[in-house]
Amino acid sequence: MSEFYEGLAEILEVDEAEVTPERELGENWDSLAIVSTIALIDDVYDVQVRPEKLAECKTVGDVEALVEAHRSESGDA
Amino acid sequence: MHGKTGQHAQTRGARIVGVVSALPPKVVENDAFVDRFGDAVAEVTKMTGVKSRHVAEDGVATSDLCFAAGQRLLEGLGWEPETIDGIIFISQSPDYPLPATACLLQERLGMRTTTVAFDVNLGCSAYPYGLWLAMSLIQTGSMDRVLVAVGDINTRANDPLDRSVAMLFGDCGAMTALEAGDPEADQAHFVLGTDGRGGDNLIVPASRHRDRTGDARFAGRNLDMVYMDGAEIFNFTLKAVPALVRETIEVAGVPQEEYGAFLFHQANTFMLNHLAKKAKLPKDKVPINMDRYGNTSSATIPLVMTTDSAEQLKADRTRIGMFGFGVGYSWASASLEVGPLRVCETVIA
Repeated sequence: MSEFYEGLAEILEVDEAEVTPERELGENWDSLAIVSTIALIDDVYDVQVRPEKLAECKTVGDVEALVEAHRSESGDA
Repeated sequence: MHGKTGQHAQTRGARIVGVVSALPPKVVENDAFVDRFGDAVAEVTKMTGVKSRHVAEDGVATSDLCFAAGQRLLEGLGWEPETIDGIIFISQSPDYPLPATACLLQERLGMRTTTVAFDVNLGCSAYPYGLWLAMSLIQTGSMDRVLVAVGDINTRANDPLDRSVAMLFGDCGAMTALEAGDPEADQAHFVLGTDGRGGDNLIVPASRHRDRTGDARFAGRNLDMVYMDGAEIFNFTLKAVPALVRETIEVAGVPQEEYGAFLFHQANTFMLNHLAKKAKLPKDKVPINMDRYGNTSSATIPLVMTTDSAEQLKADRTRIGMFGFGVGYSWASASLEVGPLRVCETVIA
């Protein structure tokens, strides 16, 4: 997850050490952050997540769970 | 033949001989938005890469920019207007709902009344679409010289308070001249596709025919202004464009290394960098000029040709890939050899 956390830290404008599954996405979780995260997930995992699903995420763990759901989905396809 | 990402088409016997882009003189820098958007200006700029854009003054219509580009193009080529057999105008911002802007340009440019002229309503995919149409018309043998006008005055449909569009778009008009050559030479390949499920994600919802005033998606908005769901558009391009690039290179049968440039619709700098990386294209072959001009919709690809790629296209014959994608959703690509162009320039009109 380190490449993903590194990217997420940059998007959320915090230190990488602060990026944990429990971390709240907070007020920086706006439309620009969501677009950046779509690109990050595409880069790291080669999956495309739905923007509205990302918008519903509250914590870093929610984002990870969303990525996992997409990965297992594309694996089944 | 149906490919994975679109309809495959190929033409022979037609080539581009010149391109001119016309920009309105007024330039608006990002500083002008700080009062309205504050710190968000820096954040949006980091994403879109747009630092300034040319904006048409009140009263200037898309045909004015295309006309200026056309005049300079014909003068540069030494073409008499009566020698031209057809003109296609492709835009999302025609002068009027009717008549077709192509008809107005036929008259202004002094072309024959036996000229074929029609409009096509497309934006981001306009330029490869236009080349495919014009080259197909020439290939039938019924026309020797065809003009393709593309252009948009986008800024008038920008909601000044909507940061997703207010700082992104710019205005431009362009004219391209195509001519018949050796019927067996100048093979060009195209891939063209459509997914209307994305229609509502980039739309000017005002319509005399369909009332969208009660639609929650557009609640509190002026329906005459463009609505863009940037994240949805980005998601679409991630799925569609890398596959389009791969398929275009494959159907043209020319190795990627032999391309002189890959000209992308200038949608958003962050997106273009990401797409180029994902498609494994060398950065130096993917020119990005939208820092200076913004996203000019249908005119982005010719505007790259007449600015960042002008020296290359004037000097040599070069294998070029072109990729337009967005509003519709509609996408189109072209792989063809271009140059040395006799006229390839940008004018202020």
